Amino acid sequence: MTIFSLVLYVLAGILVCILYYYVSNFLLDFFTKKNSNYSLIRAFIFIAPAFIVLVIFILYPVFETVRLSFFDKFGREFVGINNYIWAVNDPEFRRCILNNLGWLLIVPTLSTIFGLVIAYLADRIWWGTIAKSIIFMPMAISFVGAGVIWKFIYDYRGPGDQQIGFLNAIVVSFGLDPQAWITIPIWNNLFLMAIMVWIQTGLAMVIFSAALREVPKEMLEAARIDGAGELKIFTSIIIPYLQQTILVIWTIITIVVLKIFDIIVAMTNGQWQTEVLANLMFDWMFRGGGDSGRGSVFAIVIMIAVIPVMILNIYRHKQEQKI
Amino acid sequence: MKKNIFSSIIAQLILLVFVILWIIPTFGLFVSSFRDKDLLAVSGWWTSLITTEVNEIHRTLNKDSQIQENDIYIIKENLFDKDKGKKITSFGITSKNINQFLIEEKATLKDGSELTVSENGDYVWKSQNPFKNKNGKRIFITASSPPNFTLENYKEVLFKEGVGQAFLNTLTVAIPSTIIPLIICSFFAYALSWMKFFGRDTLLAIIIASLVVPLQMSLIPLLSIYNDIGALFNVSSKSYPGVWMAHTGFGLATTTFLLRNFIKSLPHEMIEAARVDGATHYDIFTKIILPLSIPAFASIFILQFLWVWNDLLVGLVFLDQVPSEIIITAKLRELLGSRGENWEILTTGAFVSMTVPLAIFFLLQKYFIRGLVAGSVKG
Amino acid sequence: MNTTIKLTLAFLVSVLFFNTNVNAESYSGPDLSGQKVTISGPWLAPEDGYIREIAAIFEKATGATVEYGGSDSFEQQIVIDIKAGSPPDLAIFPQPGLAANMAAIGGLVPLNDDVKNEVLNNYAAGQSWVDLATYPDENGNDQFYAIFYKVNVKSLVWYSPDNFEDNGYEVPTTMEDLIALTEQMASEGNTPWCIGLGSGDATGWPATDWMEDIMLRTHSPSVYDKWVSNEMPFNDPKVLEAMDFFGFFALNDKYVNGGSKAVATTDFRDAPNGLFSSPAECMMHRQASFIPAFFPEGLEAGVDYDFFYFPAYATKDLGKPVLGGGTLFAATNDNQATMEFVKFLLHSEPNEHWMAKGGFLTPHKGADLSAYSSDTFRKLGEILTGATTFRFDGSDLMPGAIGAGSFWTGMVDYTNGKSAKDVADAIQASWDAIK
Repeated sequence: MTIFSLVLYVLAGILVCILYYYVSNFLLDFFTKKNSNYSLIRAFIFIAPAFIVLVIFILYPVFETVRLSFFDKFGREFVGINNYIWAVNDPEFRRCILNNLGWLLIVPTLSTIFGLVIAYLADRIWWGTIAKSIIFMPMAISFVGAGVIWKFIYDYRGPGDQQIGFLNAIVVSFGLDPQAWITIPIWNNLFLMAIMVWIQTGLAMVIFSAALREVPKEMLEAARIDGAGELKIFTSIIIPYLQQTILVIWTIITIVVLKIFDIIVAMTNGQWQTEVLANLMFDWMFRGGGDSGRGSVFAIVIMIAVIPVMILNIYRHKQEQKI
Repeated sequence: MKKNIFSSIIAQLILLVFVILWIIPTFGLFVSSFRDKDLLAVSGWWTSLITTEVNEIHRTLNKDSQIQENDIYIIKENLFDKDKGKKITSFGITSKNINQFLIEEKATLKDGSELTVSENGDYVWKSQNPFKNKNGKRIFITASSPPNFTLENYKEVLFKEGVGQAFLNTLTVAIPSTIIPLIICSFFAYALSWMKFFGRDTLLAIIIASLVVPLQMSLIPLLSIYNDIGALFNVSSKSYPGVWMAHTGFGLATTTFLLRNFIKSLPHEMIEAARVDGATHYDIFTKIILPLSIPAFASIFILQFLWVWNDLLVGLVFLDQVPSEIIITAKLRELLGSRGENWEILTTGAFVSMTVPLAIFFLLQKYFIRGLVAGSVKG
Repeated sequence: MNTTIKLTLAFLVSVLFFNTNVNAESYSGPDLSGQKVTISGPWLAPEDGYIREIAAIFEKATGATVEYGGSDSFEQQIVIDIKAGSPPDLAIFPQPGLAANMAAIGGLVPLNDDVKNEVLNNYAAGQSWVDLATYPDENGNDQFYAIFYKVNVKSLVWYSPDNFEDNGYEVPTTMEDLIALTEQMASEGNTPWCIGLGSGDATGWPATDWMEDIMLRTHSPSVYDKWVSNEMPFNDPKVLEAMDFFGFFALNDKYVNGGSKAVATTDFRDAPNGLFSSPAECMMHRQASFIPAFFPEGLEAGVDYDFFYFPAYATKDLGKPVLGGGTLFAATNDNQATMEFVKFLLHSEPNEHWMAKGGFLTPHKGADLSAYSSDTFRKLGEILTGATTFRFDGSDLMPGAIGAGSFWTGMVDYTNGKSAKDVADAIQASWDAIK
């Protein structure tokens, strides 16, 4: 396809989308003469496309997943809760839960904190845009690229051989023995988490950057004139104002972490006790022909794991309704 | 004032620490992409910034290249096939002792012939009798190698057949896959924030719950639907609109969630005032909400674009792997191949692929302007 | 004069005519113009270029179009595509186990008897190649599904002849000699072995090759077969013995480059570099016949590197077992062009074309051995046809959950210090879990 036809194709797709809203609202106004009794129809127009997409792309696969979790590996024979019973007794599963807990506690927290701090600091400094771009860069690199980058950091060669991993090079220059970082149980999880924090802080920072725009300038200036220190402004004004956004970002990163498996596959493939639920799900789903029954169980566990986060968000939402 | 300067310096220091920590890994990748591919798996990337000592093995020419001067048979040549500025310091003729001789020293071989190597790689091998070696002899050298960079890797990746097309394909996938969700989800998010309708809260709860649906579970059921639809209308199940909708679907929850957060935090009074004035929700949305949400749109545009640009799995499953549809991530993976020594393609490919999302990030920076909201809150 | 010229011309013409026809018989196929065959497989550069060249021969002879798409996540891609109903016409499986899984859900189309007879007639030990491609379909009936094309020999040890010569080492012809050589090398300050198990999400597979080669050399082939089918449990003492023998090489920090900790973290593609470094990081590398594609550029077969047969015990009377593997072509759609392409691959021409490129071996008896690109490959081809016992890579035969799962990860755990018993128990548990 030539560039010209591709451009036309792209524009056509976007135009169809915009036109739907424009035309349907136009028709509604035309026929009802802006009578507000028909606002329900308008609501319907607004949500219809998204709702259809939601049902097809999200709800249907979820129901399929739930259904498959009660069937055998080929999805043909009903086996009741056998898959669940097997999962509960599987030692790999238990280790995954522990690992996931660790990931969930550390990565979203650190990324959110770092993201907020960096977004706030970068705002007020003349080289802020450059700083933000550098923090953002890891997000722009695909997971494959991130895997290669950190291979050059964590790589291990035998003692006496030339190190090509940055961390080992530093360690060796201090006279210590190089370590095979990603194979050390427990600690290797932290090393992998460092990669995730390195990447996700950019996401937090980008969203906080936009959210910080909404903090009223006057409030900040007034506080400064009153003599409040920067730290006090940060803790007493910025953080409370952005509470909802903090929760949203923390939620999103938590969920990204729950779903993550690319980095782990690239660095350790779940070996050396680093495996997480999403790895298990992917392995059972696709390796060696796949066992859709068991893969689905893990998918469901992941979905269940997010319920506390979900409840928290809905609680907040209800709270702000009351204000 | 003094307090301000002090806290400003502290702020800058903290930021600097973060920036340095963050950039080292990426910097390593950047340097690696300019390195000779044979070196990538052998020495650390920081070594290419300084002059280092390297050990190499070369082979002399064989008997077919010998010349005769008077009664002596000579083979001579330069060991390096490309001049990279290496300076040899010592050499050896057996793997058991690679530094046996200094440059210009004469090495005597078992068969009585003499070999000597110079600093620039020239070697001269003299023998009283004609050479009978079918294969050249190995010479081990230790040399100091100055910082050396090459554009070979970039040439290999950028000008390889199909890469340019893959770029275009990925743009064709990414742009609608970012704009369409933004459009659909912004209307949706607005409705969830400011419109009253039955089941609104339940819908919101479903959105939050669906944030976590793993993509991999959806692949097979969705592709089956696509195949069924394709069979029904006799079109291919793998096409651009198909992948646009797939990305919209997978990004729906996050995009809606984020947009709703932004739209909800806009001042309630503005919207109420407009309703009282008789504006429909559509007018409010297009004339008030949209302009105010530009920073939000910008940040979500970047994130969704990014995610689609770097995606591999969805592009593999919902598009055919033919040159007119293959995306850049899949193309780069194809280049990796079953060959070894492919770190140079990975490093260079990652950088080349990164330029587009970064460019978008820079371009959208100016939309992070402050004050659109602040100014309208008065009163 | 005129007659002489005429005769000379006639002679010249006939010489030319005969010369151009001295090559192997070219393939000629039925007219398939307008038809298309789509193939998907795990091959990326450079193999994807070669298969496209082979396809071009077919296209020219029949008028059909052939499209090949490769992916290094082929094993997941093909499962998705088959289950969702949008498979390519032909799939190139790197493992029979996976093909069997696909057959069991009805995803493959059986090949008819004349294809089967072609294999029986043209391949050395043809019956084994047929058996390896026969699996139960979704009703439990055995059907013949695939042909093998491009195989490899695995029982090889690669080394640098110059380094051996410098040190006065001789190529060992028995396992006892190999063990002694290993000890001698270590005592002289050289590192005997380079071993690397890293392979992305397939990390661990090179160790399974070690295990299989060792099993074939320490026990009879029928024991091997029982081990592969799990008739003999994975944690049987015979298997533990084999694992510990692997440990003799891989767990001894003095015997392996980088120490035992580096074994699992070194990528299998980087591991052989140690043979060619200065100073040499190791002397020997046990690996399959496709590994030269990953050696540093510019090295010459037979000069800079060579291989010897991974030897068998002199005292055990188990002959010279050879371990090998290969890729299978299986049809997922039933159409004429696809079936003709399958038959095309069983001719000598596509085999000889790739033989000339290197990195390719075939059990096809009709393929001219002189077509091999080097003496090295000819030697390999002869090993293939001259083995007393030939066995297919065990982990490729085991069901995917084991052969592409717990066996791989178990071996990685073993090099990390887990005991042979624990590793074997875990693998046996995963066997039990899928029964």
